[in-house]
Amino acid sequence: MMFQALPQEIQDLLTVLEYWDEILEGFIMMIWLYVWALVIGFFLGLFLAILRQYGGAIISRIATGYIEIVRGTPLLAQILLLYFLPYSLNIPIERWAFYTNFRISDREMTFILLNPEILVGILALSLNSAAYQAEYLRGAITSVGTEQLVAAQSLGMSRRAGIVHIVLPQALRRVIPAWSNEAAYLPKYTIVVWYIGVPELFGKAHYLVFKEFIPEATFIIIAIIFLVLISTVSKVLDVIHKRTAIPGL
Amino acid sequence: MGKSVLRIVDVWKSYGELEVLKGVSFELMEQEVKVIFGPSGSGKSTLLRCINMLDPPDQGEVYLSEQNLMEPGINLNIMRANIGMVFQHFNLFAHLRAINNVSIGLRRVKGVSKEEARSKALKALNQVKMAEWADHYPAQLSGGQQQRIGIARALVMEPDVILFDEPTSALDPELIGEVLQIMLELAKTGTTMIVVTHEMGFARAVASEMLFLGNGVIVERGTPQHFFVSPKSDRVKTFLKQLDILYGSHKGLLKLSKEEEDK
Repeated sequence: MMFQALPQEIQDLLTVLEYWDEILEGFIMMIWLYVWALVIGFFLGLFLAILRQYGGAIISRIATGYIEIVRGTPLLAQILLLYFLPYSLNIPIERWAFYTNFRISDREMTFILLNPEILVGILALSLNSAAYQAEYLRGAITSVGTEQLVAAQSLGMSRRAGIVHIVLPQALRRVIPAWSNEAAYLPKYTIVVWYIGVPELFGKAHYLVFKEFIPEATFIIIAIIFLVLISTVSKVLDVIHKRTAIPGL
Repeated sequence: MGKSVLRIVDVWKSYGELEVLKGVSFELMEQEVKVIFGPSGSGKSTLLRCINMLDPPDQGEVYLSEQNLMEPGINLNIMRANIGMVFQHFNLFAHLRAINNVSIGLRRVKGVSKEEARSKALKALNQVKMAEWADHYPAQLSGGQQQRIGIARALVMEPDVILFDEPTSALDPELIGEVLQIMLELAKTGTTMIVVTHEMGFARAVASEMLFLGNGVIVERGTPQHFFVSPKSDRVKTFLKQLDILYGSHKGLLKLSKEEEDK
């Protein structure tokens, strides 16, 4: 028999890959959380960065306070806090879910778009990512320099117009290399939602480990999926950075 | 002389303990070119930033065409569109091509249509002999070329007055000439200007009045002739001598001025 000739390691990998539908479900969930957190975190982070940089004494301190609290506490603590908050406030939680079913070859798969846990997961990841993204963005805004805004104002532009039309277009170009850190970290951070019961990739890995008990093969496959995803993201951002570079700089 | 464009009355400005301007007053008439010079730290740049209210004075009055800029509730953005500014370090918008650097003020401040803004910007670029570089980005241009675009950017707004803040002092020596040439042409075609500079050749050629600023006050004022032939205070004499050592041009200018006087 041909399969008996295969070494045990390969057989383990094949056993895990037999569960490709479970892995795919987890992967889609991870991407789902990642994209939401990255996008919401970006806009919220941009808002925070602008407030911290241009908000004046009081507003700037509030933004700084938020950023420091979020960066100074564990993500896991934040997500559990947010998860248990309604319970401790005695707000009744109703069970609800939006989901979609699909089929690939002979496998029936379910993808849950939103339920209370996923909502908490997206919220926590976004609020957390915003703080980190805010600091990357603030660094880029600072590096553009105050003189660009002064020049804009000297033409008669309002401060706000100067920020929007002169400072931000430059800051957003400059931020890409630093910001790619956040884009690379965030997929790995999504695994904390496993603690509140969201079936993402890491949750699926645990499920497989309990079921087949081949942890090495399982986690190697999970790790490779992360590696491929994050390498792709880095490459894409690198290309965007080069494409949007200002000629001559 | 025409009408008053700018009137500064007893302007004071301090940063914390440091008093930078201690009661400066002067008036600028239409088509006049005022040259402000003096040692660094004397408040020259601060004075310009007080005039366009990017750094409002603590005390005193600034009138632009008889409109008091210190009046509360005045829309300074609108007023600033009437005061052009050319910076020592150019401050061109790094992400915009030359043409868009020049047209963005028209588009965003004056609400001019895209086509009209473009044609006006091209005209302004032509005036500073940069039309063929319209599609270049600032970082692709030399300092002198960037500064000429900086001048076009101010010019295109058709301001009442253009403030020049040491426009050539960040330039390599061989690039200074092309910028001064443009400024000379502007002065001769009746542009109202205040120029902070140590280019005494430029001052001699076009200044209607020169102000020597020292320690936040106008120490001495007069025509170029006055300064190059018979400066009064010792501080001005010492300063001009130092410029002479640095640039080696003062004696020649003195000679030229004397020759003209003799005629």
